[in-house]
Amino acid sequence: MDVKADPRAALRAATVAIIGCGGLGSNVASMLVRSGVGTLRLIDYDRVEEDNLNRQLFFREDIGRLKTEALADTLRRITPEVTLIEVVARVDAENILGLVAGADVIVEAVDGAADKAMIVNACSTGLPDVPLVTASGLAGSGSANEIVSERIADNVYLVGDLASDVRDGLPLFASRVMAAAAHEAHVVIRVLLGYCEP
Amino acid sequence: MIVDVALFASLASFQPDGLPGRHSRPLEFPEGFTISQVISALALPDEPRVIFVNGRHAEESTVLREGDRLAIFPPVGGG
Repeated sequence: MDVKADPRAALRAATVAIIGCGGLGSNVASMLVRSGVGTLRLIDYDRVEEDNLNRQLFFREDIGRLKTEALADTLRRITPEVTLIEVVARVDAENILGLVAGADVIVEAVDGAADKAMIVNACSTGLPDVPLVTASGLAGSGSANEIVSERIADNVYLVGDLASDVRDGLPLFASRVMAAAAHEAHVVIRVLLGYCEP
Repeated sequence: MIVDVALFASLASFQPDGLPGRHSRPLEFPEGFTISQVISALALPDEPRVIFVNGRHAEESTVLREGDRLAIFPPVGGG
């Protein structure tokens, strides 16, 4: 893929599917909207809870609302003309390809390791030519400098320190989650601009 | 046959040479070995994983060939 001559036009014309609108996905979404990406598919089944507010782009008055709906409202306050497709669904191996249909890039932004593996496996099997950005290893208080982005397969980009697991009881700090989200968003932008390496 | 095997993150310690690091190692397996047979031979834990052969996703039933590049990555939770 050649590097795009008109970056703004390339981003405006792009559709990005974000699977999961929590700590990673809500922040990825805001960075992509601020960067001028034209269309987002926001995919999540969950509602905002109080303990999401430590790292997710929601506000106290959003508690109880669908994350897709609350996030869409916030994103439109940033850029009213952005096109947002709200998809209220729990992603599984059967429905995922339909839920991300039409995306130029797919962002995996869910919480659980098994769901992450399912999403990478299903997307890279069913949509091998659509770039996918996934994150693994962002919990705890380790150095933010351990969070990197790399290309681990032809169309799969991996963000994180690869090791810090919430399952080990590590807390999720906004600073480190957002560092990973920023890496994910920036990989998306680079891929949309025609760069192959993160 | 020789297959180039890269094991990421917590799986790196399952390389037969016992050395740290996720860089790939050339490992010898019998002809016709599948990815799941490699997983058994290396005694990898039964945890969520993503598998690529030559930069493309592959199922565990895939039969490996001489010179293939096999990479196995175990996602961890948090988001």
